[in-house]
Amino acid sequence: MAIDRQKALIFGAAVAVRLLLFTTFPSLPNLLAGRVEVSTPVTSFKRLQEGLFLYKHNVSPYDGGVYYQAPLLLPLFSLLPDPSYFPFASNVLYTAVDSLGAYALMQIADSMQAVTPRLFKSSRKDLRWSSVAVAAGYLFNPFTVATCVARSTSALSTLFILVAIAKASQGAGITFVFALSIASYLSMHPILLFPPLLLLCYDVRASKAKSAPSASRFAVSHTAGLAAACGLLLYLSYLLTGSWEFLQSTYGVRLLLPDLTPNVGLWWYFFIEMFDSFREFFLGVFWLHVASYAPGLTLRLRKQPLFAAATLTGIFAIFTPYPSIADAALYLSLLPLFRHLFPLMRYSFLAAAAILYASFLGPAFYHLWIYAGSGNANFFYAITLVWSLGLSVIVGDSLYAALRDEFDVERPELRGKEVKRI
Amino acid sequence: MAETDGATASVEPLSTPSTDATSVSATAKPPPETQESIWLRRSVIVSFWLVVVLLGLPVWWKTTAIYRAELPLETMGAWAESKVCQPAFPLKVAVEAPIPAQDAQHLLRDTQHSLDELNDFSAHRLSLLLADAPFVANASQQIVTDGIAVDVSHDEDIALSVRLVPVETGHTPRSLLQPYSPRLDVYYGPSQLPTAASTGSPLATYIAEELHKLFGEEQALLAHLLSKTPGPRAPVAKRLSSGIIAELEHRSTRALKYAPTYHLTFSLFTPINIPSDWDIESALQRYMSPFLDSLTGIHNFTIDTQVQLYSGYTPTVRPEFDEQSKSWTLRKEDLSGFINAAEWPLTPSIGAGPTVNFVLYVPDRSQSPLVVKETGGNSWLVPQWGGVVILNPTEADEAAPAIMTREALAPAMHTFSTQLMSLLGLPQSPGCLPLRISTLVRVRAASLLFSASSTLGALARLYNALPSIPIPDKVAKSVDLTTEHLQLACDSLKEGRFHSALEHARVAEAEAEKAFFERSMVGQVYFPDEHKVAVYLPLLGPVAVPLIMAALKELQTTIRNFKARRSS
Repeated sequence: MAIDRQKALIFGAAVAVRLLLFTTFPSLPNLLAGRVEVSTPVTSFKRLQEGLFLYKHNVSPYDGGVYYQAPLLLPLFSLLPDPSYFPFASNVLYTAVDSLGAYALMQIADSMQAVTPRLFKSSRKDLRWSSVAVAAGYLFNPFTVATCVARSTSALSTLFILVAIAKASQGAGITFVFALSIASYLSMHPILLFPPLLLLCYDVRASKAKSAPSASRFAVSHTAGLAAACGLLLYLSYLLTGSWEFLQSTYGVRLLLPDLTPNVGLWWYFFIEMFDSFREFFLGVFWLHVASYAPGLTLRLRKQPLFAAATLTGIFAIFTPYPSIADAALYLSLLPLFRHLFPLMRYSFLAAAAILYASFLGPAFYHLWIYAGSGNANFFYAITLVWSLGLSVIVGDSLYAALRDEFDVERPELRGKEVKRI
Repeated sequence: MAETDGATASVEPLSTPSTDATSVSATAKPPPETQESIWLRRSVIVSFWLVVVLLGLPVWWKTTAIYRAELPLETMGAWAESKVCQPAFPLKVAVEAPIPAQDAQHLLRDTQHSLDELNDFSAHRLSLLLADAPFVANASQQIVTDGIAVDVSHDEDIALSVRLVPVETGHTPRSLLQPYSPRLDVYYGPSQLPTAASTGSPLATYIAEELHKLFGEEQALLAHLLSKTPGPRAPVAKRLSSGIIAELEHRSTRALKYAPTYHLTFSLFTPINIPSDWDIESALQRYMSPFLDSLTGIHNFTIDTQVQLYSGYTPTVRPEFDEQSKSWTLRKEDLSGFINAAEWPLTPSIGAGPTVNFVLYVPDRSQSPLVVKETGGNSWLVPQWGGVVILNPTEADEAAPAIMTREALAPAMHTFSTQLMSLLGLPQSPGCLPLRISTLVRVRAASLLFSASSTLGALARLYNALPSIPIPDKVAKSVDLTTEHLQLACDSLKEGRFHSALEHARVAEAEAEKAFFERSMVGQVYFPDEHKVAVYLPLLGPVAVPLIMAALKELQTTIRNFKARRSS
């Protein structure tokens, strides 16, 4: 039972690392929760506590204009003891969330959908990492650990996205739809993952069953299920807060970007500089830009829906309005599933260097701007550009590698030859 | 960008070497694409284009459309050209006569007739009414009140009441205008009453002439005001001599712009340390308040005062000592620079309304008396700003009082109130304050009416001239309110209810200004269309190029294939 021993070791070590960090550095969670790279206005634990306080005192949590997160988080966290006095409970919760996410990632890896989907057999399918290694890559990723220690609520969205992918790659339609609707309810943009994941779920179901189910009926029933689940969650929120105003404070904030707190994304700087009369227009352009990838990638990568979904999470980490390192952590943990593409990637060194460069210099430049006062906003924005560039290089390069991989299957005689795009 | 990879990537071999088993010839020619990959690429391109066309275009249309509320341009233009409202000023004059009603009616008719003959300004008409004569009510004669008789004491729209008093002695007819109530006493001899048979009695003519004289200046003011507004008013306006016009212009440049509230600032400046205090509060109470109270219907006032020691006038002003009159004299040119704007803390404006400054300057004893050279006077008015009074210490009080008493301030206060009258635009005649104030009400109502109308016209022109500025609903609402109140003000004017006319005109003016100076309208005035290229291109250019190129390439191949198929 070597695998089980490995598993236990990995998970035990991950839990130990997290709890150790929580207990030996009691000020670390608050420090990280205040960092703009980790906590955005829509995921911050401090804002969650503010909303929780208002909620417990029977005031609408959205009254203060501080809390922008989903209403159903409030009853969940109000069950826990007050984190400022007894942080242990919430620490355990976040550790558990990370472990469950890793478990879901293992399920994805075990399903083999990354290398051998129904319509496509990669010629390099033997080149893969074990599920334990993939889970370890998630659990010991410093970005994941930082998100967990900062207790950012994006950890929850990450978990539900991973569960949705896992369930889709197992062909479990109902749980997939439910997990995805929770993820969308928490942070809205995961709804764009629905088309590729639906295809993934369909492919798995079709390969398991003797005859493929009717595609249109499958699509309609799952879409209706997603709508119903989302509607149910929104209705529960309505019952909880007593009015629909939470829509304005949660999804309205994500759509309209009223809070321009700096983050690692590209939006905040752009909208600080924006002429007021063009603000709405460019909000529309930016959102459409994010959304337009979903259909295009799904169609182009029809044979590898899991890869399309993973690439979309990478695009979310770059182009959504309030990205944090948690989004990058999700993408970078899904990437090891595609170990077989790594030999085909051409700019791995450049991308890795850019990511490392941004991770170390980002906090330094932020310090120069905000605390030392010797820099300005351009310092931090430049470093977020490098960060986004690094991620875009990975996204583009892996996409190239996936297409090359498809091409190699199509024309095996050209394997290993130089190619160019025409 | 990942997008270009996703949208158009199709991987093809580089020039294949001849050793390659599959290459048919040495020339590098990519093998034909499979039908599947062609369709895949097309569907990807179409999916991007669908997002752009189905979602992008509506977003662009919706978010960059300029909202322009509908404005009643026709009505606004009509107001600006004074087509809607022909302002009229029908003044009511009540006549109290201690004579039988029949005779009184007769006298009234005669007087009215001669008045109308004298009047050459049809918009401004005096109409006589017969009033109860309370002071003879207990006389033996029975007064028969008919429909025309009104109760004078309860109607503030009565401009003036004329009281006929029979006297036996003295030169008759003669008249006396009460200075502090709107009443004209006319003394007449018994023989001057018109008889039933005669037409045109000397008394009637006399009263008509007196009344015409009393309202002469008001007519000039209103006529001047009317002549400055556009529109078909030429026949209404009466002709004014150029001298009068120049005088009225001069006066209107001195007066402050109308505001519902003025701040009055009374300041005491002295170059030395005495007087260190003044009894300003009781002086204002005594000399200023009665006048200010009588203006309550037109303006509100707030007052503040200050004492500034060791604050001399502008150092460049040097008075000369005049041996003849033994006094220090200021030349007329110096007066404009007298106020030490650099050092005297005279705030330009407190709060919403304009500030009127009154400066009392007490010169040093070594430089007193200080007077104006040309006139020997000691006060002057600064147009649209306030007034200055130099109060020379009298020789009598050698002890140099540290505190100025109320009595010592009296002359200065009288000067200040005269200056305030000019600054408010109060007419200079007749010698009856209530009459002058009611004239001011009419003049102000008319001028506010005209200025609100012309603001409406300006807004309408702006609306047409700048099609790129947004017009929010607020502006349309303000415009509606303005026209509504303008109509009410105009109706009130025609009915002779001047106080309510002023009230409505004031609202109309405020709303018109609010609409014209709406902040959100001017945001894009200085944003020409060329700048939009600079806004759109940097972001949309890079995104659009691969989209358009891909679409064009696809179209090209489709057309080529189509042609090839037709030719074969």
